[in-house]
Amino acid sequence: MKPLLEARGLSLRFGSLSLVQDLDMVLHPGEIVGIAGQCGAGKSVVVALLAGVQQPDSGELIFAGRRLTWPFSARELGMEVIHQQPEMVEELDLTGNVFLGNELGRSFGGRWLRIPDRRRMDAEAARILNELGMSYRSLRQCAVHLTSEQRQLIAIARAMTHRARLVIIDDPGLMLSYAYQQKLLSLIQGWRAHGAAVLYASDNVDHLMAVTDRIMVLRRGQCTAEYATKDTDRERILAATIGASAQQELTPIIWALDSYYRAREQAEKLANRRKLLEHELGTPELDRQILDQLADHLNVLDRANVALQEAQRRLLSELERERKRLAREIHDQVIQDLLAVGYRLEELQSGLEQGAAEEEIQNVRADVRMVVDDLRQICGTLRPPTIDSFGLGSALQSFAHDWSRRTGIAVKVFVDPNLGRLPESTELSIFRIVQEGLSNIRKHASATSTEIQLSRTSSRRLLLVVADNGQGLPEGFDLARTSADGHYGLLGINERAALLGGWCRLRNNPEGGALLQVEIPHLPVDQTDLTL
Amino acid sequence: MLDPRGESPLSDGRTEAIDRFEDATLDRPHLFRRWLSFSGIQLFVAVFLFFLVFLILSLSTDSFLSGQNLANLFRSFSWLAIVAIGQGLVIIIGGIDLSVGATMALSGLIAGRSMQLGLPVVPAILCGLLTGAIIGWLNGTLVARFRLPAFVVTLGSMGIQRGIAFSLTGGWSVTNLPEPFLHLGQGNVSLGIGSVPVPLLIALTLALVIGLFLRRTVIGSDIYAMSSGERALVVSGVNVTRLKVFVYTLCGLLAAMGGILLASRLGLAAPGSAVGYEVDVVAAAVIGGASLFGGVGSIRGVLLGAAITQMLNNGLVLLGYPSYWQTAVICTLMLLTVLLDYWRRQGEMVRYETSA
Repeated sequence: MKPLLEARGLSLRFGSLSLVQDLDMVLHPGEIVGIAGQCGAGKSVVVALLAGVQQPDSGELIFAGRRLTWPFSARELGMEVIHQQPEMVEELDLTGNVFLGNELGRSFGGRWLRIPDRRRMDAEAARILNELGMSYRSLRQCAVHLTSEQRQLIAIARAMTHRARLVIIDDPGLMLSYAYQQKLLSLIQGWRAHGAAVLYASDNVDHLMAVTDRIMVLRRGQCTAEYATKDTDRERILAATIGASAQQELTPIIWALDSYYRAREQAEKLANRRKLLEHELGTPELDRQILDQLADHLNVLDRANVALQEAQRRLLSELERERKRLAREIHDQVIQDLLAVGYRLEELQSGLEQGAAEEEIQNVRADVRMVVDDLRQICGTLRPPTIDSFGLGSALQSFAHDWSRRTGIAVKVFVDPNLGRLPESTELSIFRIVQEGLSNIRKHASATSTEIQLSRTSSRRLLLVVADNGQGLPEGFDLARTSADGHYGLLGINERAALLGGWCRLRNNPEGGALLQVEIPHLPVDQTDLTL
Repeated sequence: MLDPRGESPLSDGRTEAIDRFEDATLDRPHLFRRWLSFSGIQLFVAVFLFFLVFLILSLSTDSFLSGQNLANLFRSFSWLAIVAIGQGLVIIIGGIDLSVGATMALSGLIAGRSMQLGLPVVPAILCGLLTGAIIGWLNGTLVARFRLPAFVVTLGSMGIQRGIAFSLTGGWSVTNLPEPFLHLGQGNVSLGIGSVPVPLLIALTLALVIGLFLRRTVIGSDIYAMSSGERALVVSGVNVTRLKVFVYTLCGLLAAMGGILLASRLGLAAPGSAVGYEVDVVAAAVIGGASLFGGVGSIRGVLLGAAITQMLNNGLVLLGYPSYWQTAVICTLMLLTVLLDYWRRQGEMVRYETSA
């Protein structure tokens, strides 16, 4: 089938800001295409471009086989556009506003010399407004006296005054109450039934899922993804609008936290907008359904997030317990066995006289001793023995000393002497973070000295700083990208910090080298459960 | 978070206010609302002023009501009215045209010069009208397409036209215009009721036709909607630029018509004629109720305004005041009308706020 509308490489810049970038789009008759995207993703700009109101910097638009040049009158071509902001002529009455630019009546040539047929227009307007279910006092009422919702309905009514080939809708839902939003969705389906194409831009993914055949996802002015509606789900589209798909696959916990905070933020914004609207409209009969829905969503999200965090915490604690068991196993079993082997070899050696065999046994004993040392090392990493008995400070000191001996990189450790004992989970997490940080320094930084600092910033917060004098972070460092490349170390640090309710920041030190800062809130030991 | 079941404290009082206001305005839209809103009052004021000036002048001077004076008055009223109708349309769409005086001089001059060069009367007049239309089109294009302020565009256009007019003849006037041309401004047509000056007939015909278009057709409602609802017109697919250019072109054309009638009446086309005439024209439109904020005005109002302005011009001379006073008095009256218009808008603003 020949496409009704085809856009190629539409781009629009505002100064250095790219509003729309290289947008391609094809729309067939009888097709409903959704444009999803967050606020500010460029949906309204795209609509303005397609409606002929805004001229793009480059690109071309073909409608029904005709190449269009900007600015064009969308209506003359058979397009109807419903904008986000309904525009009214304030002094004109309802009928006049509904039929603005499309007056009915006898004409002496062109639209200008048309004599409007008031009676026919009034009847038509009454029919359309009835179909929309809008209540009004009189068709003679001036637009000045309308509420925002009524204005939006008038703007929708305008698109119903004659049969369009293409209807472009720019999210009028903000102004509409729930019932009218549903009405709009059924109108969209009605338009399709009459063979018109519909382009529907909205940040409400549920609405898009309900009516569209295809959904384009717009992010920062670019079409980042396109899905057939029946083969996708709302989560995938939501993720694409946020641009979080890569993280979603790699680390669900970070993604969940991230989208949770975003959702909270959005919910706050929505609630504010709602409040504003309510003030503006001032109509008590405005239905509460959206608000209730919002509260429900938020509750579900809250519960899901808490469950998710709990699961992740349990996973980590299981991991630590397993490591502890493994360390004990190796220490109590394997090392003891090896030591026994060593003693028996010693006994064997003393009972033997032959030179060659004696030398051989010497070598074997040395090997066994090395294996034991290695195993002790492994046990120490699996479960720092010092942390259980002497606390975090000593564990860090001893680990750093050990590490420095192995790698030849000097380490200075400063631990706040008034630190005291922390909850086990916190201590272990900090230890693991330092471990991970140091191993990163060894692998990537090519540094000669390192500094670890653990201090209190207030009575309830801890700050851990790991700094080196190496080459610093590479240009354009991006946490998401490194994790996409399969390096999970930094992400692990991030995760541990997030689970403790803190944050983590990695940046270049102005004096050279990289700087890892982790801030964690901590409670006194007795108030935290000590299961972990 | 907002309590979903909480009542907005504003809602009740406000709907009541809307109810009260709309009951008052909607049910009896014509009578009550017209008189309540100040735009009705403004027309009333114009009618009142007209009769006041007329009465004062008839009582205090002997010559005002003489046939000769009335005939002169009617003639000079005609071109003022014709030009003021164009100006009124421009003012209704929220613009202004300060170049009408210069357009009158230039197009009169071009018509006269063409006749002097041997062109027959009708083509010469068409040349003059074409000049006015082209100037109006240029003004409109600069204002509508390039979005320059109308004030500056037409001020510049005024200077340029005067310059061209003076340099065309080296400052001299074109005289010895052919007899048939002079008939246009000086002649009378006898109708059933008596003889009517030709210019008056032209002016009234134009007023009738333009008034009908303004009231009855879509272009008229577009013109009224332009100043406050330009965005709405654009999104409704109305070519606003074309409409603006059209209105400025019409204004230029009407100014040219006025200029040609003036030249025909005086029997000469002078590059310096109608200097300062734009003040009278704007005053006529404004006194007749056209709002400089746009969207308000009517043809009958403009006719009334032109009549008042011309009577004052005429009467001040008859009363023996030096002619320097004319502009001062007319401009004072104009400013008072603008002040009235300002109060009207304030009143409406308060109304919008309490109701919308």
